[in-house]
Amino acid sequence: MDEWKPNPAIKPHKKRSWYLAWKYKLMNQRALRKLCQTGAVLFLLVTVIVNIKLILDTRRAAYEEEEESAQDYDDETLNVEVPRHPVRNKKVLDVEVYSSRSKVYVAVDGTTVLEDEAREQGRGIHIIVLNQATGHVMAKRVFDTYSPHEDEAMVLFLNMVARGRILIFTIKDEGSFHLKDTAKNVLKSLGSQVAPFLSWRDMWTFVGKKGGEVYGEKHAKSPALSTWGDPVLLKTEVHLTSVEDAECHWPDTELNRRRKRFCSKVEGYGSVCSCKDPTPIEFNPDPLKDNKVFDVPVAVIAGNRPNYLYRMLRSLLSAQGVNPQMITVFIDGYYEEPMDVVELFGLSGIQHTPISIKNARVSQHYKASLTATFNLFPDAKFAVVLEEDLDISVDFFSFLSQSIHLLEEDESLYCISAWNDQGYEHTAEDPSLLYRVETMPGLGWVLRKSLYKDELEPKWPTPEKLWDWDMWMRMPEQRKGRECIIPDISRSYHFGIVGLNMNGYFHEAYFKKHKFNTVPNVQLKNVESLRKDAYETEIHRLLGEAEILDHSKNPCEDSFVPDTEGRVYVMFIRMEQEADFTTWTQLAKCLHIWDLDVRGNHKGLWRLFRKKNHFLVVGVPASPYSSKKPSSVTPIYMEPPAKEEGAVAVPAVAAAEQT
Amino acid sequence: MQKINKNVVLALLSLTSLVFLLFQLCYYKFYLSQKVRENCAAQACLCGITPYNAYSETFSSINASPAPNHVVRKFLGLISSHNIPVYLIDPLILGLIDKDIEQIRSSDGPSTDCKYFCAPRDFTTFALLDKTWKHEMGLFRTAEKMGFQWLKIINKDPRLDGMDDLSGIEIPLHYIFKLASHAIHLVVFYERSGNYLWHGPLRLKQHMDRKFVPFRKLHFGRYPGAYEKPELVLVSIDDLKVQIPKNPSSFLDEMSHSRFLECRYREARAFFQLYPDDASLDAVVFRKKAKSLLHLAVRTLNNLGVKFWLSSGTCLGWYRQCNVIPHSKDVDLGVFIRDYKADIIPAFQKAGLPLKHKFGKVEDSLELSFQGEDDVKLDIFFFYEEDDHIWNGGTQAKSGKKFKYLFPKFTLCWTEFVELKVHVPCETLQYVEANYGPDWKVPVKTWDWKSSPSNVQYNGVWPVDEWDDVIQIY
Repeated sequence: MDEWKPNPAIKPHKKRSWYLAWKYKLMNQRALRKLCQTGAVLFLLVTVIVNIKLILDTRRAAYEEEEESAQDYDDETLNVEVPRHPVRNKKVLDVEVYSSRSKVYVAVDGTTVLEDEAREQGRGIHIIVLNQATGHVMAKRVFDTYSPHEDEAMVLFLNMVARGRILIFTIKDEGSFHLKDTAKNVLKSLGSQVAPFLSWRDMWTFVGKKGGEVYGEKHAKSPALSTWGDPVLLKTEVHLTSVEDAECHWPDTELNRRRKRFCSKVEGYGSVCSCKDPTPIEFNPDPLKDNKVFDVPVAVIAGNRPNYLYRMLRSLLSAQGVNPQMITVFIDGYYEEPMDVVELFGLSGIQHTPISIKNARVSQHYKASLTATFNLFPDAKFAVVLEEDLDISVDFFSFLSQSIHLLEEDESLYCISAWNDQGYEHTAEDPSLLYRVETMPGLGWVLRKSLYKDELEPKWPTPEKLWDWDMWMRMPEQRKGRECIIPDISRSYHFGIVGLNMNGYFHEAYFKKHKFNTVPNVQLKNVESLRKDAYETEIHRLLGEAEILDHSKNPCEDSFVPDTEGRVYVMFIRMEQEADFTTWTQLAKCLHIWDLDVRGNHKGLWRLFRKKNHFLVVGVPASPYSSKKPSSVTPIYMEPPAKEEGAVAVPAVAAAEQT
Repeated sequence: MQKINKNVVLALLSLTSLVFLLFQLCYYKFYLSQKVRENCAAQACLCGITPYNAYSETFSSINASPAPNHVVRKFLGLISSHNIPVYLIDPLILGLIDKDIEQIRSSDGPSTDCKYFCAPRDFTTFALLDKTWKHEMGLFRTAEKMGFQWLKIINKDPRLDGMDDLSGIEIPLHYIFKLASHAIHLVVFYERSGNYLWHGPLRLKQHMDRKFVPFRKLHFGRYPGAYEKPELVLVSIDDLKVQIPKNPSSFLDEMSHSRFLECRYREARAFFQLYPDDASLDAVVFRKKAKSLLHLAVRTLNNLGVKFWLSSGTCLGWYRQCNVIPHSKDVDLGVFIRDYKADIIPAFQKAGLPLKHKFGKVEDSLELSFQGEDDVKLDIFFFYEEDDHIWNGGTQAKSGKKFKYLFPKFTLCWTEFVELKVHVPCETLQYVEANYGPDWKVPVKTWDWKSSPSNVQYNGVWPVDEWDDVIQIY
């Protein structure tokens, strides 16, 4: 075949003759030609097959190699890389906001970032804060502005959001009843035109940039008192800015690195993230001299209330004598934001998978946290137990340092608590005074390890029992007649309004006016007289010098106690047996102190202050101190009101607290 | 026409062949280049993080490697500048130190010759107590500036492992600081319930550099370990001030038996899923009593220096459910007969545990029983070692019959049980299976010690004239 070459001389129109000539030529070597052809075909086929096989082989080999090498490095856990969201180069976000009676939702670029259609929940104004550069959700809040004071919290929150952030508002059910003018003005200043005129059961959505443009607003008026406004759906576009514009330029230190991580993720913590002069996240309070609680672990029990936790940790880390290394925050659930707060302060946090529901969930969380605390600090004899909705007094650790030896030495003690249930603004006076009480107040207290390990932990309520852990701890089977030491003026302040057993009304009635010590370095007096027997001597001395009040007057009246200062007065109330608290409850009610169950008693005696005088109440004849009553005095009896009354005013929590 | 077809086919096939040939070449070239790149990447990853390091390593291996004492000196400088109290636990150096411990303790003057830290080796090992340091990142930045490369090995916190559903924080277990060819291994010790120190195993995670140092040569980290809290003393050796355990030889001895077993918490949880825990008051009370009895027994035996381990039902409770089995009515311990001391009985009596019965004699089938608080009994079985097995004996009081319980050979490991550091057989599964058979996972409430165990053998009868001695009941 090689020798054959087309003849260029042959012209196209002579093609047939050219072909014939060629044919003739080849005919002569037919056998050879045939052989060549078959040989070529075979050769080609083989080449093709070999080629295909080769390709397949190399591919398989390469694949296997890849797998093998992966297995080599696979140590024990499969590290599944979470696919990262593709970097959004998009400069515009599509935002959808929906407001209606029973449902609200917010979608950003098609992703639902808020959806609430639960019944009887989530009433009020929902707010979402987006990062203006990335579009990430930085905060999600709901303010039940149907209830009082929630609008104040909302204003506080909005003021804390950094300029430039994108704010999204939507109302579920009702959001105007307690939305006062201050709050409406703040909304107006954000660019809302409707806010000043928001009224009963209106539906409303609003998207705007803090201190900048308005992206959209929609509103539907409620036609009548008994009905709601029509659902509104707002669709709008938001323009993103560059990352550099959205970040601050703090000096590069370890603290600021923590701050930066925190501030780029979450919002609503105010000055901690302000670019100019941010508030410190390290406090370095004065150390305590001879601090006996420096090595006592502190367990902070938390849920998903990160802004509470933030406030709490600030006050805790500012308290004199605090040892941050001993603090562990236990978060009930895999919530990110509380963990961010914990990391901001450089503390250690542990997340706990929720077990069971409601009270039992809290109770299981407590158990896990306490067990973990004693596991992590095996040397500790005590643990301080705090909750995320408490302010901690500046002398909290000083108070504990001065009293903790009693818990170690006096077997008749159950706990030391920083909280006086009856210590209100008008009933507490002396920061250096301590009491013994038969109730366990909680809210910042010290637990003895032996009590926990030997008694409480083994029989802690199981998850199926819907008990409050604190109620359970107060039961006689657990308390066994032991008492707690409390200060007259509380060293903690309960600021939580949102919670399992908590709402605005309840907080205002029972917690808001609680007295809280702000004086540093208070030297406690009478610490030694808090021991079991010494305390009896002390009480007898006190009763001996007390002046008996005029029992013919109404004890609820202010004039019942003379206008003096620094005196000791005693009154006697009727108390037929140990569990008869009829008169006490009525008295507590009219004195505006804790009356939902009996707190703060010691052998039928209550100690508080009225008009800056020490005021003792003795239950006769149940109390052993009844003997101090002169025979001429008739103990006061106060009748409980008719049943219907009061039942309305007391919120659901009372039922729970009393069970 | 046929001819044309044939030719066309021929041409087509030639063309295909050519294309394939080209394709094959192309593919092969691509494959080759990829392989080269892969190798390259692997090499870079294995040989060090930057080419500079690879260079410095080859450089140092060509020249004589810099004396380890320089690296140690640099490391100690780094550590003291950050106020981190470390102490030396390197077995090699402690071994050398131990030889002239008296001299080192007494001499204050700095010796100029480098006798200890210059000993040729790849590592120097130091210990760090977790609670004495806040794990500040500043240390590592300084270390990098000084030329150290460092590696941190973290893992789950075992102190939280026993708890349901806590996402335990990961804690640092080991640090390795490398400078040229010498590395400092810093072992982090944690205090645990039971008043002892624990260090974790060294396990590399997926992305870690497996050739950072020859990990297999490390003295610590193959297994987790348990140690007593050491007494430390500051000494000056080779012109370096360093903390060492006060008694190096006893530390080295402890080190050789330090292997720690974690309780199998996950399996225990699975067990409780299957057989829910007895939460009755009786169970709570029994557990509390058993725990305090065990605490008392451990204290007594440790004071005597008698080595013991959890045996029988107590061991099963640890292995299966990480707790005392509430329906077991006693606490069982095992002791090698070579560790027997005559003081055991008086010591327990002094601790408030009167002898209940004594079966057998030191030469054969010894078993002691002490009476704890209301009905909870403490049994101590003595184990006899043979060439290929270990056994302990049992005696039936009324008939004088002897029984023998056979176990495969085992060694002892530390573990934590009801807030105590105690021994268990390292080969726990074989031990438990020998005793309770393959169905040990199923709780059995009725148990006859003469027939139920799967390793029991009839072992004859005590001669009647010995009965007074070998069957003593109080």
